Amino acid sequence: MESVIEVREVSKSYGKVKALDAVTLSASRGEMLGLIGPDGSGKTSLFRILTTLLLPDSGRATVEGFDTVSQMTDIRKRVGYMPGSFSLYQDLTVEENLSFFATLFGTTVDEGYDNIKAIYSQIEPFRKRRAGALSGGMKQKLALSCALVHRPTVLFLDEPTTGVDPVSRKELFDMLEPLRSQGVTILVSTPYLDEVRRCDRVAFLSEGLLRGTGKPDEILKEFASVFCPSPLQHEESQAASPDNVIEVSHLVKQFGSFRAVDDISFSVRKGEIFGFLGANGAGKTTAMRILTGLSKPTSGSGTVAGLDINTQSEQIKSRIGYMSQRFSLYGDLTVRENIALFAGIYGMKDKDVKAKTDILLETLRFTEHRDTIVSSLPLGWKQKLAFSVSIFHEPEVVFLDEPTGGVDPATRRQFWQLIYDAAARGITVFVTTHYMDEAEYCDRISIMVDGKISALGSPSQLKRQYGMPDMDSLFTYLARKATRTE
Amino acid sequence: MRHLLLKELLQLRRNSFLPRLILLFPVMIMCVMPWVMDMEVRNVGLAIVDNDHSLLSRRLIQRVSASSYFRTPSLLPSYEEALRWVEADKADVILEIPQHYERDFGRGSVPTVFVAANAVNGTKGSLGSSYVTQIVALNLSASLKRPVRQAEAVSFSPLSLYNSHLDYKRYMIPALMSILVMMMCGFLPALNIVGEKESGTIEQINVTPVGKLQFILAKLIPYWCIGALVLSVCLLLSWLLYGITPQGSVGLVYLLSMLLALVFSGLGLAVSNYSDTMQQAILVMWFFVVCMMLLSGLFTPISSMPPWAQAMTRAIPTRYYIDAIRTVFLRGGTLTDILPQTLALLCFALAFCLWAVLSYSKKS
Repeated sequence: MESVIEVREVSKSYGKVKALDAVTLSASRGEMLGLIGPDGSGKTSLFRILTTLLLPDSGRATVEGFDTVSQMTDIRKRVGYMPGSFSLYQDLTVEENLSFFATLFGTTVDEGYDNIKAIYSQIEPFRKRRAGALSGGMKQKLALSCALVHRPTVLFLDEPTTGVDPVSRKELFDMLEPLRSQGVTILVSTPYLDEVRRCDRVAFLSEGLLRGTGKPDEILKEFASVFCPSPLQHEESQAASPDNVIEVSHLVKQFGSFRAVDDISFSVRKGEIFGFLGANGAGKTTAMRILTGLSKPTSGSGTVAGLDINTQSEQIKSRIGYMSQRFSLYGDLTVRENIALFAGIYGMKDKDVKAKTDILLETLRFTEHRDTIVSSLPLGWKQKLAFSVSIFHEPEVVFLDEPTGGVDPATRRQFWQLIYDAAARGITVFVTTHYMDEAEYCDRISIMVDGKISALGSPSQLKRQYGMPDMDSLFTYLARKATRTE
Repeated sequence: MRHLLLKELLQLRRNSFLPRLILLFPVMIMCVMPWVMDMEVRNVGLAIVDNDHSLLSRRLIQRVSASSYFRTPSLLPSYEEALRWVEADKADVILEIPQHYERDFGRGSVPTVFVAANAVNGTKGSLGSSYVTQIVALNLSASLKRPVRQAEAVSFSPLSLYNSHLDYKRYMIPALMSILVMMMCGFLPALNIVGEKESGTIEQINVTPVGKLQFILAKLIPYWCIGALVLSVCLLLSWLLYGITPQGSVGLVYLLSMLLALVFSGLGLAVSNYSDTMQQAILVMWFFVVCMMLLSGLFTPISSMPPWAQAMTRAIPTRYYIDAIRTVFLRGGTLTDILPQTLALLCFALAFCLWAVLSYSKKS
């Protein structure tokens, strides 16, 4: 079969770090090749080399037979690239973004319309809206339309679905199917296993080395320790105490005429792991911001750790921990300095902090890295550290907002082990996630759709109630009912 | 509070760029700018048309040539020729000595010379022509063989008080110090909170029980220290390089500058609270700093501004600073001399810092 992407012995180093070490792989026409591996394994470097944005140190790569070093203009005309972070102009409208990208490639929206019709028609009703005001899933569709408007024959997608809810992720991959039948070759990287399984072949990169290529199932089996760790054992509701740590009734948050949170009521028991699920834009983050005292509700009442969210939000803050989806430690401070800073903010005594820091570093096996600048740690480590810091002052509740974005399953499993340890110590965990396997780890979950809670209960109970085999299908079933477009 | 402060200092130290900037910027400004920002006009191009060719006219030419204010003057045959030189930008001022200059002078009448200046560069032209006039008068009075009579004596004798050599360096150094404090204490804090907004760490701080006041104070104090450091470097350099020290008490210079540092770091943080991006913060801060610099009387005397502009300067904190610092630095004024300005600065400092604290909101 004709080979469209050819990578021969490509290496790239940044200073001492080898991002890619003699990587060789190829993809044939119409194939969807998945690129998988932990954060920092060299995936993005490979994308940048293939899209002629980066020069390899050694080795040779060709796309459609053109060399990435000497014939970059030929390649650029033929490929579409969708980088991980959104490549859209937030201040331009949907339409303006699209026609701008069309102009860049010397074509017009009309000419390329047939190519993107299937995708673009879904967001066309909002063509006058600014790209910055779109939801995550819609941005994804627009970005894909922009990458396709000049009818490329090769498509590079670098983690196109990170931070996107399961429903939108499925839609995106459904949209890729017809492209493949048209002969478009797709190279995609993803941390999600269900997406890995949809690829024809996958290549597993780790620390710059290509560990293996093959059918998704073969690779996942071969590297099961990374991708399919044995599921965590966790007894459901192990004598959860009857006290409620979070109680919310008829909570509403309104932005203008838009009800982001629309009359929700629920309670979370002490020591429970509560999963707060919902599609992008369903109102999860808004609700969480109210509970953590970052925002005031429009109406409704609630208590966190026994304190009123309307009047005592500052007092609440000293009783909770918080870890946001954006990395929340100071990157230019060392591990120890970060711990000391946040412990100090919560008014812990220096002596206690010192003793506790040593124990913490010991359990995380971070002792030798205690004076490392945090920004130089791998993402998975940072997340574990950020979580440990957020519960360092022994809060009653810890709020985790998509804590495990962008890391491989094995690292996520280690992270969840930490969550279980915290829950066992009596810390209530309130967590949002887009990974449905993580939802199964929770004691109870709620699923938000259009600002309302449409399901609430333990994972097994909910699956029974709706007659669904797994969380993924349950979530998809409920989230598809969403009518709101925001 | 202690932890927050420590964090700010550590972050400052870890930053590979800022500490260098903080030291390099004052050094650069102090080493180069006093030479550049010299309002004195030198090297004026002078074209002389001598229609007299007498002893007196030659002596005048000699005197002019000896003056350090002029480039070696060019002798030209006619006024038209000289005018062409001006047009070609080879000369700025024309001195035409009339025929019978010496003869008229000998007869006891006051002879007139003709001075024309190119006013395109206003300062150069007017100052140049006044230099020429001075030299002409000097030449005449020196040539008088008899004792000087009142009427014939040179009619002006300027006396520059407090800065007797009209040394612009002495005049500009306090101004440069204020620019430095404005830049360092205005721009750095303006970037600080926005920086935390962009990296997302501010969210984390907002969900902690940290008080507004503590948070802002922890941000203010480092910049205050930077202000003091920059000032010390300035004073040291001005003493080492130019031998210029404040006439008044150094303590007062510090007091005033620290107040200015507070004003600007407060303003910077307030701007930072309102901005979402670095770009926005920088542009807004730039607007404030430039307005305050130009309206402060740093470069141009306030008394020559139109009345409405003079009224505007009353709302500009730098105006009080420049006024007071020059009084202390050049004239050796004491606290009583600058009390109103100091109080005004204090009010501005308190107002801006209060604004910075109030505008920081832990909620969105």
